[in-house]
Amino acid sequence: MKETRLGDFEEVILLLVGILGEEAYAFKLAEEFESQTGRSISIGAVHSTLSRLEDKGFLKSAMGKATAERGGRRKRIYTITAYGQRALVASRDFKLSLWQQYPAFATDKLNFGGQI
Amino acid sequence: MKPDRPIPPPLAQRFLRWFLREDLAEEVQGDLEEKYYATLENYSAFQAKLNYWYQVCHYLRPFAIRKSKSGYTNYNAMFGSYWKIGWRTLSKQKMYSAIKIGGLSLGIAACLLMALFIKHELSYDQHYPDADRIYRIIGAYNIKGEISKNTYFPAVMASILKSDFPEVEDAGHFIGNEFLGREKQVVRRADKAENIYEEGFVYTDQGLLDILQPHFVKGDPSQVLNEPNSLAISKSKADKYFPNEDPLGKTLILNDDEMQPYIIRGVFEDFPATSHFQYDFLLTLTGTESFTGDHTTWRRNIFHTYIKVQPGTDATLLASKLTEEIVKTYMLSSWREIGIAEAETLAKGVSLALQPIHDIHLRSEGIYDGLNHGDIRFVWLFGAIAGFILIIACINFINLSTAKSANRAKEVGIRKVVGSFRGDLIKQFLTESVLFSFLSFILALLLAWLCLPYFNELSVKSLIFPWKEWWFLPLMVAVALMVGFVAGLYPSFYLSRFQPIQVLKGELSRGSKSSRLRSMLVIFQFTTSTILIIGTFIIYQQLDFILSKEVGFDKEQVLMIQGTNTMGEQLPAFKQELLKLTEVENVSVSDYLPIAGAKRNGHSLWKNGRKEIDSPVDGQIWFVDHDYIKTMGMEIIEGRDFNMEIAGDSQAVIINRTMAKVLGLDNPIGQEIYGWQAWQVIGVVEDFHFESLTENIAPLCLVIGNSPTVVSAKVNTGNMSEVIAAVTSVWDRFSPKEAFRYTFLDESFARMYANVQRMGHIFTSFAMLAIIIASLGLFALSSFMVEQRSKEISIRLILGAPLNSIFRLLTQNFLMLVLTALILAIPIAWYLMQQWLEGYAYRIQIRWDVFLLSGLIALVIALLTISYQSLRAALGNPVEELKSE
Repeated sequence: MKETRLGDFEEVILLLVGILGEEAYAFKLAEEFESQTGRSISIGAVHSTLSRLEDKGFLKSAMGKATAERGGRRKRIYTITAYGQRALVASRDFKLSLWQQYPAFATDKLNFGGQI
Repeated sequence: MKPDRPIPPPLAQRFLRWFLREDLAEEVQGDLEEKYYATLENYSAFQAKLNYWYQVCHYLRPFAIRKSKSGYTNYNAMFGSYWKIGWRTLSKQKMYSAIKIGGLSLGIAACLLMALFIKHELSYDQHYPDADRIYRIIGAYNIKGEISKNTYFPAVMASILKSDFPEVEDAGHFIGNEFLGREKQVVRRADKAENIYEEGFVYTDQGLLDILQPHFVKGDPSQVLNEPNSLAISKSKADKYFPNEDPLGKTLILNDDEMQPYIIRGVFEDFPATSHFQYDFLLTLTGTESFTGDHTTWRRNIFHTYIKVQPGTDATLLASKLTEEIVKTYMLSSWREIGIAEAETLAKGVSLALQPIHDIHLRSEGIYDGLNHGDIRFVWLFGAIAGFILIIACINFINLSTAKSANRAKEVGIRKVVGSFRGDLIKQFLTESVLFSFLSFILALLLAWLCLPYFNELSVKSLIFPWKEWWFLPLMVAVALMVGFVAGLYPSFYLSRFQPIQVLKGELSRGSKSSRLRSMLVIFQFTTSTILIIGTFIIYQQLDFILSKEVGFDKEQVLMIQGTNTMGEQLPAFKQELLKLTEVENVSVSDYLPIAGAKRNGHSLWKNGRKEIDSPVDGQIWFVDHDYIKTMGMEIIEGRDFNMEIAGDSQAVIINRTMAKVLGLDNPIGQEIYGWQAWQVIGVVEDFHFESLTENIAPLCLVIGNSPTVVSAKVNTGNMSEVIAAVTSVWDRFSPKEAFRYTFLDESFARMYANVQRMGHIFTSFAMLAIIIASLGLFALSSFMVEQRSKEISIRLILGAPLNSIFRLLTQNFLMLVLTALILAIPIAWYLMQQWLEGYAYRIQIRWDVFLLSGLIALVIALLTISYQSLRAALGNPVEELKSE
């Protein structure tokens, strides 16, 4: 049986794929990850996560068109599957429900600015 | 052409392409290139390159790495299947497998032991620091066309070498034990009374220590032997005499001589077993001149001289330079000085050579040096024999595999039909033979390990298995693989050649195809075995010949009492007491005994008045007493024995027949012989062998003189224990401080031929091994043949064939093979053994009965082997065979 749970890093990558849309390929994803989180990451790490997500069925991929840059090589563009979107929504809902049960949240004393 | 812009590091790209999965290559390369140019915009080219490498390395992840080969798992599974089938074949035919494995492991075990032996023999004298710069000086003397080589030089040789030749870094020497006879053999601490017998004394100088550099545990290595009366002892002896004490500065008394105590100046680690220089007590040469000028004259050639040359010295060049200068400057003038007329001619025939120290043990054939050494020829001979035994064992393997091919033919056919390539089949059969080989190796290691003590006794070595050496097990595995491969090569090609259509139709004539090759291999096996059998017989005949040959003296019932020199003045009284015993017939005091290893010397001798004219005769002068010839049972052929009554006999000499002949004395009695003095010949003794029978009898003189270490007693009774008890009681009265030590002349004599005996034993073992392995193979082959023809035999029996015709039918083929082998073996063995016998001056003639006997043995063994299966087939009930179909 395939692993179907969504890891933390996997979730971020999945979201980034959704954000980047047509430009969602390994290099761009790594760049985006670095600019969004400020943490550096290797393309290989991103790529291995992408292929894992694809194995789990959250992503699907297709080779894009040949481009003049990068020596005429094609890119592999990733898109989220419906199953992947469901998994993201489920993950978000689960967390929201957790937050709602969190008493500190209700008192509104927490400051989220720049924390996440 | 310069590229427009920098490109990613090519090596990293190559590396990436090497490990990356094919289907990912395009996108990944693209991504990384994009990354590279992106980095290049903000950072330096170097950093971009570094980053590229970083990115490449981060692709070393399981998902991205190329699988080594498609079908990899299948490959493994096939090997698993090969092993399984191999194992099943092995356990299905237990007898054949046992013979294959058993024979092979016997052969391998023999090879293993031999390899250990050879390795040990070849490792002699490698351990000295700078071993490659140490040489021994050898003199080659060409006298009238006959070249003799020895290592004996005067003491000045070493000092001349060091002072006259800048190439020589160090020179040193020692006195060979043969000149000391059995001197210096008991030792005690200065504060103890009991004398203990020890061997391994040698007189040497500091120079030799500087060359050999034994590891000194105690004492200053550069000063140990400089002072007179100094002594260095080995660690093991130091522990024996001075347990838990510091031996440095302690005193040892040798031979009860309190006038000349020795002080221990150094303790060295024992010389390893692989050293030709094996001594425990190194006595200094300083202050040991036996007469003035002893160490400076050119006439006392008793020193073995060693040198260490400067790095980068060419030994051959140096040797010719030594020959040139030393012979001309020193030898020639010394010869002229003593008035040798033919000095120039003599000098022309002399040459000096340098022998590397690690050649001394194995490559000293024909060099007289008084040392016990091995012989490179034997090393290779034994190696070759072990190799042949392994080949015989491999042949069994090949023969049985191909003979049993019929049983595998169907398997081969089916495998081919379902799509197996020939290569796969070869692989399969090779796997099987490697499996057999591994099993054999495990068994062989066990066998060799168990036999090692026996083998050590046989070869007089103390070999051990190098289990712990890092190379041992990998080497064994590699050799096992190789043996399996070689033995399996032919069978696997043979078996995999079958055409499926023929096999499955049953057209393949069962196992007969390679019968010619099999026959040849059987012939080879039996030829080798027969040669070994013949060799064994001839070695034993020669040994028997030597031990029972008339040697010119009576070696039976002579008791030799050792160490009598400590009695000093009392020795004559001791002799008289011995003579009073009823069992003792004669007693003689002399260290010069007719067995190798006893005291010897060498002198130049001339006949009456020819000293200035003739070249000297090189002869021995033995100091004996009046009863020597009687005690030894030697025969006077002319003149008379020494007589106590005649006072002039102290200046008289008895010569042997050879001496009379060499000196050209037709009527020797009354003539005079000159050495350093003149002696009158009073008798001629029949030649007797005083060295090993590999050598001719040398000229010899017997004169009255003092050499008190050994007392020989001729006894007249067979009851030796009684004699020894009686002699012991006399001994204890005279020398209570020392243990009574004795040997028998005939035993010492036999010990001279211990190495021939050893060779005989080794040959016997190997010959037996060879014939056992060959018979195993023959047994298996014959039972296979019987199995193949069982139906035929049964039908013949039913139709009334008599027993003997069946028997003949089954055996005659094999007997023909064995007979052919005999015919081949006889001339080869004759030639080889003739070569071996050439080494003996006194040898047997090879007679035809040896060949007859050996042939008969081989034939009978072969016949017995074959007939077991044949008889079983001929006596079996034919119904049993036929009813099943």
